[in-house]
Amino acid sequence: MEELINNLKLQIIDALNLEGMTPEDIGNDDPLFGEGLGLDSIDALELIVILDKFYGIKLANASEGKEVFKSVATIADYVAKHRTK
Amino acid sequence: MASSIGITGIGILCAIGNNAGEVRDALLGKRSGIGTLRYLPSLHTEIPVGEIKLSTDEMKAMLGVEEPLASRTALMGAIAVKEALADAGIRDLSGKRVALVSGTTVGVMDVTEVQFEKLGGMDPRIPRGNECGKSTQDTARYAGLEGVPCCTISTACSSALNALMIGAEMLLRDEVDLVVAGGTEGLSKFHLNGFNSLMICDRERCRPFDDTRAGLNLGEGAAYVVLEKDAPDALAYIAGYANRCDAFHQTATSEGGDGAFLAMTGALKHAGLTPGDIQYINAHGTATPDNDASESNAFRRVFGDSLPEMSSTKSYTGHTTSASGSIETVICVLAMRGNFTPASLGWSKPIPGGAIPTPGHTGVHLENVMCNAFGFGGNDSSMIFSRQAHLLDGEDRFGIREAARVRIDKVEDLPGLHEFYTPMETRRMCKLMKAALLSAFRALRAAGLEKPDAILSATSTGMLETSTQFLSDIVANQEQMLKPTLFMMCTHNTIASAIAIRTKCHGYNCTYSQSEESTFWAMRDARRLIASGEADSVLVCSFDEVCTEGKTTEFFAETVILQQDA
Repeated sequence: MEELINNLKLQIIDALNLEGMTPEDIGNDDPLFGEGLGLDSIDALELIVILDKFYGIKLANASEGKEVFKSVATIADYVAKHRTK
Repeated sequence: MASSIGITGIGILCAIGNNAGEVRDALLGKRSGIGTLRYLPSLHTEIPVGEIKLSTDEMKAMLGVEEPLASRTALMGAIAVKEALADAGIRDLSGKRVALVSGTTVGVMDVTEVQFEKLGGMDPRIPRGNECGKSTQDTARYAGLEGVPCCTISTACSSALNALMIGAEMLLRDEVDLVVAGGTEGLSKFHLNGFNSLMICDRERCRPFDDTRAGLNLGEGAAYVVLEKDAPDALAYIAGYANRCDAFHQTATSEGGDGAFLAMTGALKHAGLTPGDIQYINAHGTATPDNDASESNAFRRVFGDSLPEMSSTKSYTGHTTSASGSIETVICVLAMRGNFTPASLGWSKPIPGGAIPTPGHTGVHLENVMCNAFGFGGNDSSMIFSRQAHLLDGEDRFGIREAARVRIDKVEDLPGLHEFYTPMETRRMCKLMKAALLSAFRALRAAGLEKPDAILSATSTGMLETSTQFLSDIVANQEQMLKPTLFMMCTHNTIASAIAIRTKCHGYNCTYSQSEESTFWAMRDARRLIASGEADSVLVCSFDEVCTEGKTTEFFAETVILQQDA
């Protein structure tokens, strides 16, 4: 699980081009949207691309991602359960 | 001196017809043109689209064009331009000062992307799809208007409606005798994949203002109108207009529809009309969850509980993006002349508290109608058409002075942007965007201004590096798993809207893309805004980049602030 979490953080930093950030800067349970890291609706779409590209998970729309994308920990949980690659 | 601006001819080509008569019949017959992909060589055949019912070769034959790399955008444009001129009864333009003002965003991208794939990357032989101005010149040439001054507006999906406004202003200032204004946009893999990456393409026919709506259907098409001053028997008259900015987000709309509200109230004020004077509204109504909810809220703010008959004709034509403003203008004129209101297809279940579209009526008298066109970057415009001539003011009253000018063209200057933006806020910005914003905010500071009244930008090829990256990904990933960030950042109006978002400037916002003449047209518009008293201060940001093998190798951005001379 720890490896998955670290990989997810690296993939997020790369896909969202979070210049100068390292996995240590993102807490596992930190909220990703709003008051937390401050991501927005376009970032959510990038997260959907990450799930598809690296884990073979297809979300039909952005609202499906709402619960999944609360924090890196919730994404890791979802990926562990649903990954196809 | 005040004059009226008449629409004396119309031309249209879209999914429901190859000319104005066919389009009128389809609207009255409630026949949608949305269907399965036929001409665009995309893998996304599961996404319904509104293609025109002509192949590229058929259009070339109609126009007598023999160029191998002619784009659908320019060919469709030329067919509609010719129809509009013939409809206005104009056979000979000699001795007349004429301008073609046209909106497009993807330009000749349909040709670019095919060549890009064939030649394995960007090649100097490939026409650059981003060079919108070149596409307009092709349109002019194919229509037999070679040498006519062209002016291209690129404000995403409000481009064509803004083209009509700018054309009207040219006539009011006696800069020309006749304007052909409108827009054209051919379907491309580039923007089909772009909208798909934003997850806003419905897999069914779109349902504007319906509670079950699940996104838009992209369409293609072109429409142009002939505009003339003080024409006695015009088909309709432009009564008023406004261009405003939502200043909220690059692709999302504000919940209350601030930009839409300001555009509609601005147009009413300009026309000297009240909400009760409008009998029909052709809504932007893309059928995305976001747009229709926010446009509904804006309608309530403007019209209260007395919304006039309203429909979105995108369920017939698809969303023709940059061309939608003129396609829907022509539909408004057809409705006024034919005494009918087009039905909103696909609607059955109201959005809770949302606007309810009309089932369509015949035998109605439409004195004044409103047309909305909103675009990425919150570029929101609204225009009102009337049966009766309205006098519009074109007088210049104020002097102009240059308050600041800042140029940025070196990579080492770019970290200076962190004085104005946090690293988190610059995460999506390419070098060119950083340079443009740095020049804009340094110029504002030099002028002692926090917020200009209007924002204009000028670019020949816009975000070349970003759009080349998106093109490469389309080829490499076979139209799958594409990054929405690349697509949303590569419309030509990205910079002007980013400045508006940061300064919270809801005023006039426009982007010119006419090759090396882009800055000329933007400065001309800036001077008009100040001279007429519409704005006390205007920011004009020009920018362009050179890319080699897909990477930025040279760039420049220069911002000028003009102010009223006290």
